[in-house]
Amino acid sequence: MTRLEHFAVQQIIAIAYQLDGSLRYQRVKSFFYDLLENDNYPYKRWFDLFMIFIILTSVFILVIEVKEPVPLWLDHYDLYFVTSIFITEYLLRMWVYSDIHKMLIQKHEEAQYLDHPLRLRALVGMAFTDKWAYISSPSAIIDLIAILPSYRQIRILRILVLFRAFKMLRYARSLSSFLFILKSKKFELITLLTLTAFFVFIAGIMLYVFEGDGDNPDIHNLFEAFYWALVTISTVGYGDISPVTPEGRVVSMLIILTGVGLIAFMTSIIVSSFSERLVELREGRVMQEVGKKSNVVVLCGFGTMGRKIAQGLQHEGVELIILDNSEDNAHEAHVMGYRSICTDATQAATFQQMRVAERVSHVLCLTPDDEQNAFIAINVKSLAPKVPVTVRCSDREVAAKLRFAGIDHVVIPEEITAMMGVVHAGEPVAFEALRSIVTQKTHSRIDEIKVQTGDALNNRNLGELSALTSRLIILGIVRPNTAGSKDFLFNPDNQVRLQAGDDLVILGHETAVSHFKHKVSV
Amino acid sequence: MTRADKPRVYLFGFGKYGRHFYQHLSEAGYLVTVATLRQKNYTAAVEAGIEDLKSFNPKDSDSLRALGIDPAQHMLYCTMDDTANNLFLILSLREVYHDANIVAISNSEENSRKMLYAGANVIIDVYDASAQHIVTNLTKPAVSEALNTIVFGKNDLRIAELPIQPHSPLEGRFANEINFRKKGVILIAIIDKELGDDLVYLSRGVNHRFDAGDILVLAGPIAAIQAFRGEMEPATA
Repeated sequence: MTRLEHFAVQQIIAIAYQLDGSLRYQRVKSFFYDLLENDNYPYKRWFDLFMIFIILTSVFILVIEVKEPVPLWLDHYDLYFVTSIFITEYLLRMWVYSDIHKMLIQKHEEAQYLDHPLRLRALVGMAFTDKWAYISSPSAIIDLIAILPSYRQIRILRILVLFRAFKMLRYARSLSSFLFILKSKKFELITLLTLTAFFVFIAGIMLYVFEGDGDNPDIHNLFEAFYWALVTISTVGYGDISPVTPEGRVVSMLIILTGVGLIAFMTSIIVSSFSERLVELREGRVMQEVGKKSNVVVLCGFGTMGRKIAQGLQHEGVELIILDNSEDNAHEAHVMGYRSICTDATQAATFQQMRVAERVSHVLCLTPDDEQNAFIAINVKSLAPKVPVTVRCSDREVAAKLRFAGIDHVVIPEEITAMMGVVHAGEPVAFEALRSIVTQKTHSRIDEIKVQTGDALNNRNLGELSALTSRLIILGIVRPNTAGSKDFLFNPDNQVRLQAGDDLVILGHETAVSHFKHKVSV
Repeated sequence: MTRADKPRVYLFGFGKYGRHFYQHLSEAGYLVTVATLRQKNYTAAVEAGIEDLKSFNPKDSDSLRALGIDPAQHMLYCTMDDTANNLFLILSLREVYHDANIVAISNSEENSRKMLYAGANVIIDVYDASAQHIVTNLTKPAVSEALNTIVFGKNDLRIAELPIQPHSPLEGRFANEINFRKKGVILIAIIDKELGDDLVYLSRGVNHRFDAGDILVLAGPIAAIQAFRGEMEPATA
């Protein structure tokens, strides 16, 4: 190894370590990766729309240019602006495709461990091989070819404008989904294509043999016979070439029948592949939607209780996604207008995909099975310990175990029902009042208003608010205490002063509650 | 209400719901007679140490009569896990005891309708309250805290009813004349006999005149409710 080579290798490795330790570099790279490749990144949609816009404008310019000259500024827009964007995008995609500096560091460490000299050629070759994998990928080839039509001096390059249209596949997900579906039926489609080619070949030769000797003035060579066969088998039938001999017409009849069969075959392949993948596509779309939102509530188990809760949460405007391992339940949730996925919520994959720690504000485990609920809850907690989880269970002992496992909230429907039953036994009228308030089945609402620094309620005592609250019942104030939990101050007197962080709990007719909330928010 | 004043409850079923009902009713001081249909539940009740235990067959009216129910005194709770069993039991009980107060649990609005038709007086939906509890906890945590405290008894706050007796100090007075808050209680709703049997929430702002027979729904600490109840007793001659 020459001294120069040694110096170059040292410098490359030093840069690799520097990049690896630079947070700024990683942040910038991660930003571009999200923008170009991460479907869950909220701003990617805007980038995709921008790219579709510039592709359409550049295609439009090139098409207009065929017949008449375009203004110079449009020509410059296409030549400089669009091309620069395409080149920049191409280079950025190549950059974010992989982390070469990490490979270099790994190689360096391996070399040090084995006490082997690190050759410059090996390093360059490794970097090139890695980026070549990107350059030679179909989408990168399309990207590269799509840059070329801007070079007007070579007219033939303009045909490559077609590749700009192909490039749109990258940005329009429905188009790429279509190709993805077709790809899943590759074997069937290739079989169909082979069969079609075979029939075209046979029919073309037969027609050429019967009519190519001068009987048919439109058939001069084998190509024209094949062209006729393809136009006929596809049931397009231009009519520019038609058989004139009885033999040729028999061949025609046979390939028309074959063609109808082949088209039906192709239609059924495409339709069946769509129906097979439709749920998968819809669920993929649901995941993408969820990935763009924050504070999503995940509801696992769409049984009777799950449905009631979903209804209540939707009414309150909560962003919701429903997971159920039963296809019927997931489908029913979809039909009822919820975002739903048929999946096993005890597995990590779905939660990881929706980025549970960042996007999800609460997980509800509501299946009728205690063990299943515990399984789901622990799965979530193991992935995102800070995400609050509410679990339904049927027993106090199970509830104790769940609380021990760190579950934030445990609800025992059987116990709540029994408590309602007890209230009814002693105080049937109070029971009805309670039931109406709890289930919100009257026009009276129980609601809360958060007191915040600088708002109309902060630092005022309840006496000062009496004009505003005359038509409301102030049930109490929920106030944070020093232990980190909250106290409920029932029936506070007029001297109690509201503080930032308090929640005022009021009961009143829905109109009065809305009016009060509006007044204090102004 | 002392233990002696409280009506005896006949609890039908000792499955997953019945057990909770038994536990909470007993804790609240009710005398509970457990009646089971299935041997498995009977054995579970024996193992739980329940002494006042019977078995019944809803298809056999004599077996229901043999339970010793006094429809004027006792409350009947149908809390079997199976909806069909509950429905048939309601029908059988209503056929034997025309005036009984029958409370039943149901798992859907559809089944509630059927049970009311079969003769139940009150239906408790097993999911309604729990579902709303979860929704409120997520969307209005402070309301949830308040309801947990008042409804589910995390301390001494309770929701209670107070029927207005003839010659009570409340009779003939208007709601606005009485400072309930000062007495430590909050008046939430009222059944005004003049207006029918429906609950009227005072938050609507109407100033009600209290008459004998009206029922007030109050929330407050147990002691304050008891004191208020005592204060509003009719004056003895």
